[in-house]
Amino acid sequence: MSEQRYNAYRVMWILVLFDLPTETKAERKAASTFRKRLIADGFVMFQFSIYMRHCPSRENSKVHVKRVKSSLPKYGKVCVFEITDKQFEMMEIFHGRKEIPKPQPVQQLELFYFLFSIKCKNHL
Amino acid sequence: MLKRTIYIGNPSYLRLKQHQLVVACTNTKEPKGTVPIEDMALLVLDHPQITLSTQLINRLMGNTVAIVHCDNHHLPSGLMLPMAGHSQLTERWRHQLAASIPLKKQLWKQTITAKITNQKELLAKYQQPTEAMNVYLQKLVSGDETNMEGKAANHYWKYILTDFQRERFGEAPNNFLNFGYAVLRSIVARALVSSGLLPAMGIFHKNKYNPYCLADDIMEPYRPFVDLLVLEYITLHPTEEELTQQAKAHLLTIATQDVLIDAKKRPLLVAVTTTTASLYKCFTGERRTILYPLMV
Repeated sequence: MSEQRYNAYRVMWILVLFDLPTETKAERKAASTFRKRLIADGFVMFQFSIYMRHCPSRENSKVHVKRVKSSLPKYGKVCVFEITDKQFEMMEIFHGRKEIPKPQPVQQLELFYFLFSIKCKNHL
Repeated sequence: MLKRTIYIGNPSYLRLKQHQLVVACTNTKEPKGTVPIEDMALLVLDHPQITLSTQLINRLMGNTVAIVHCDNHHLPSGLMLPMAGHSQLTERWRHQLAASIPLKKQLWKQTITAKITNQKELLAKYQQPTEAMNVYLQKLVSGDETNMEGKAANHYWKYILTDFQRERFGEAPNNFLNFGYAVLRSIVARALVSSGLLPAMGIFHKNKYNPYCLADDIMEPYRPFVDLLVLEYITLHPTEEELTQQAKAHLLTIATQDVLIDAKKRPLLVAVTTTTASLYKCFTGERRTILYPLMV
């Protein structure tokens, strides 16, 4: 029930796709600054030159879109768009011809038990 | 905005990289995940082998993220909050400290009304007698001088759980309740700090050893939501006595529980900030009532 409620908050994903020139030193610098700002704003790499970010609400996604716009480089092509969590969920990803699992949806509660989870159980 | 709760339950190395919290393996330092700090509300640390960098703590404090430390029994033992969670800190403290005694008594009466109402709702949900609760609500006076809170609690615990003694260090499900309340207390304390209020100066609680008197006041009407989660859990797992990871994961969903506040359905984490914001307005005289949640 709560998970639905979390979705009712209209969870959004922002995707940023870019092609930036890297001919001169200044251009490379501008491109890497743009990329670093995306990372600092919480974007994660999806593919080379494609970054995405999870936003818990539409209002929040507007904030991050605005931030991306404010850090645009002088030259190059950048595309910013938002999709809903539902659309994100329907995505299909392939490595070669084999389908691979898509990125895990972000939960409000995140539990980190990646290592030694068996040891932890014994400890309890 | 509904912010995230991050729970760390095994050895890990936490550091800051480009404004992100990076969770890494202790030995290899290999990153296992990143979380944007501005999206976080609570960071629960529940393992002795967790290392944090000072830079990270600093950034967490800058974004009013509450860091909750757990002890050997996996119960929250410490809470770290920023000194200044709000820009108008001193002005807000002044309003809070200048609150008159009649105002505080009125606010406490409203708090207990909300608490007993929610307890009554929960009893009704489990088909238990609620008539007595109505009587306690009617007899409630300013400042709860007649201690209707205690009487209602007596009735409530008698019917909501069979063969149960509510104790601080008692048998299960006391441990579940304690964990849930401790997390709730952290959520409330964080909301108070972000509304620029001083969590140490309560409206009713005034124990000189308690640094979170106001959080203890404000969380009262929210307690039945924890009780509901615990009841749900023990119905599903009747034999479980230990506070397992699974139990904790269930109890940590308290932040996303639906509540009805100001005639709107909101997750609890958002509702708590509504409550603390309305409390501040009560201190300044802009409002006469605190907004409290109702069971849905």
